[in-house]
Amino acid sequence: MRNPMRSQITSPRTRVSQVLRKPSFAGLALMLAAGSLLLTGRVTERDLGAASGTALLRPTGAPQLISQSPLPTMDGQICEWMPASASTTLAASLWQEPAASRSAADAVQRVNADREPIRSINDTYPTYSAIAVDTTNNEVYLQDENLFGLKVFNRLDNTPATAAFTEPKRSIGGIQTKLEFNCGLYVDQKTGDVYSVNNDTVDTMVIFSRNAEGNVPPMRELSTPHGTFGIAVDEVNQELFLTVEHDNAVVVYRKMAQGEETPLRLLQGDQTQLADPHGIVVDTRNGLMFVANHGSTHLVRGEHEKPNWPLDRDRMVRGSGKLLPPSITVYPIKAQGDIAPVRVIQGPLTQLNWPSNMAIDEERGEIYVANDPDHSVLVFKTTDQGNAAPTRVIKGPKTGIKNPTGVFVDLKNNELWVSNMGNHSATVFPRTANGDVAPLRTIRSAPLGKQALMIGNPGAIDYDSKRDEILVPN
Amino acid sequence: MAKTNEPPTRVVAGQKTLLARTMHDIRYDEVNDEFLVTNQFGQALLTFRGDADGEAQPIRVINGPKTQLQRPDRLDVDNVHNEIFVPDIDRILVYPRTGNGDVAPIRMIHGPDTGLDTATLAVDPINNVIVSSVGKQLLIFNRTDEGNVKPRAIIGGPKTEITRINQIHMYPPKGLIIAAQPGGAGIEPKAPVFIGIWRIHDKGDVAPRWKLGGPKSGLKKPRGVALNPKHKELIVADMRLNTVLTFYFPEIF
Repeated sequence: MRNPMRSQITSPRTRVSQVLRKPSFAGLALMLAAGSLLLTGRVTERDLGAASGTALLRPTGAPQLISQSPLPTMDGQICEWMPASASTTLAASLWQEPAASRSAADAVQRVNADREPIRSINDTYPTYSAIAVDTTNNEVYLQDENLFGLKVFNRLDNTPATAAFTEPKRSIGGIQTKLEFNCGLYVDQKTGDVYSVNNDTVDTMVIFSRNAEGNVPPMRELSTPHGTFGIAVDEVNQELFLTVEHDNAVVVYRKMAQGEETPLRLLQGDQTQLADPHGIVVDTRNGLMFVANHGSTHLVRGEHEKPNWPLDRDRMVRGSGKLLPPSITVYPIKAQGDIAPVRVIQGPLTQLNWPSNMAIDEERGEIYVANDPDHSVLVFKTTDQGNAAPTRVIKGPKTGIKNPTGVFVDLKNNELWVSNMGNHSATVFPRTANGDVAPLRTIRSAPLGKQALMIGNPGAIDYDSKRDEILVPN
Repeated sequence: MAKTNEPPTRVVAGQKTLLARTMHDIRYDEVNDEFLVTNQFGQALLTFRGDADGEAQPIRVINGPKTQLQRPDRLDVDNVHNEIFVPDIDRILVYPRTGNGDVAPIRMIHGPDTGLDTATLAVDPINNVIVSSVGKQLLIFNRTDEGNVKPRAIIGGPKTEITRINQIHMYPPKGLIIAAQPGGAGIEPKAPVFIGIWRIHDKGDVAPRWKLGGPKSGLKKPRGVALNPKHKELIVADMRLNTVLTFYFPEIF
């Protein structure tokens, strides 16, 4: 770590090494005076140079230049003289340095600065957002949202505690695959086709054949609305359902839709109670659709760009935003337009907390919910409504569940799979597991106990000067 | 001094935070030790204590019909004049920093002369300018501008190499505009990818005074940029890499 009290100033001619002392209380007055010069805007760099020189002669308490020595010339960097009293924090520097002027500094040359970073903060291991099992071929597909790919494992793989990770039997990833922030996953149990939903940055759903491997183009693509997240397929009616997070909508396509094909149906509007929808499952036996909502919502108005295409963010009604509790909303499977849910699961007893992807057991009438920041999986009856407590909750230190965002119910082998974004793993439990129970098996892609960084689609950043921390929204 | 594979020191997440899981801006207010985040889906501005951790609730929430918020993707905070600035498509909305609840904007830059169609901005409270971006341009307004005003300057043209700008940060002591250009949409951006640094007095078709980018930098899709004056570092959030990169950049401080 660089010493924050030691700085170097460079110019085409010289580099000056400064050693700065800590400020004392007496320095405050001088800082305020410099601040008034700054605010009047009548200060010049020469004035500041003189002021700084004077400051050297007094016990100002501010950082002071006590020695300097010439250093070799360094190419490509620009000289900007700074007073010795310059602070090392932005807030303090606002008081001490001149407001930007149009002086000589405006005449500096333009510099292309291609340089290596001194630090990188990233996660070199996969983090798994969604999961699906090919029960025909006994393979597990894990959606890697960190390194943008799909990893395929044998269903019975189990990483020993002493092993660093389990090697996947094959991987799909790379520019050609168009996988990026891939968050929803479906595997066709008959054909082995793999459907991958991208969120936020790539408005394309990609479909791969079962044997796809490496950096290969998808065998089929479908242009989708921006911000899709969850996927469900009605195999009886050959229809494909996608949630649209950004638009509070569900779009329904033909299962084999591709290219620019438009949706068959759209569910969106004031009555739907869709609110930042994520996971989705369909109950073909009872003709129902279940959607997990985080709770943020707004109204939309306007004309549709094309048939059954959601009204997007540009059509938000100003000031209509609401921050609602999380919910699972239930609709007829053929619901379209602006219709109210037939039931809503919502309230403190539900324990819902950013409910993510879901899975359904139609036979037993149960819904499984990946309950991300609660580090739990919740199980509800498909008939639940209102402020209903889950019938089972898998949660606790023995489970190995951390930030689960994907679940899959393997009805053939009577198992429940969970993908954990928080610790690079997938854990598998007996289907009826409840409480703080150890998994039957774990597929781990990083050393045991290695916590995921969970940096995901960082669109901004800031620096917390008080704590010397970097703030990253995801 | 976090590095590769080092987990975060704190994670603010969960239902009580009122955050959406898709966030596009964050601003630390070092004077008041708070940080601000937008929730674009719920049309809300959330302010947290600087030390917020876990499922912390925001200490203030600006949300409701009076706010006129439509698509608050990004924001910035002026801790000198105690105001929050929000770029919102065809307007810039200004709120009191301590506003809470259904608060109307105290000022708005809006109208055909503004040329606004934006989702990003930054404010320099010392030199009294707002810098926003529209398409291939940076638009510079006076901090106190209101109504249907023209930008006081526009930076744009082939020499700027601007194609679209995401996060912008200001460095008031030097009057610098630091802007992240992630390139075009899609997985493999074709347009130039860089962090561009201009001065607030630049205008017209001028190249950035400093441009950080190229093979050594490793940048693929930089969407966020911030400054660490303490260590004279420029911090970049790269979306394609899912990585935060820190560059030693003393010449701009």
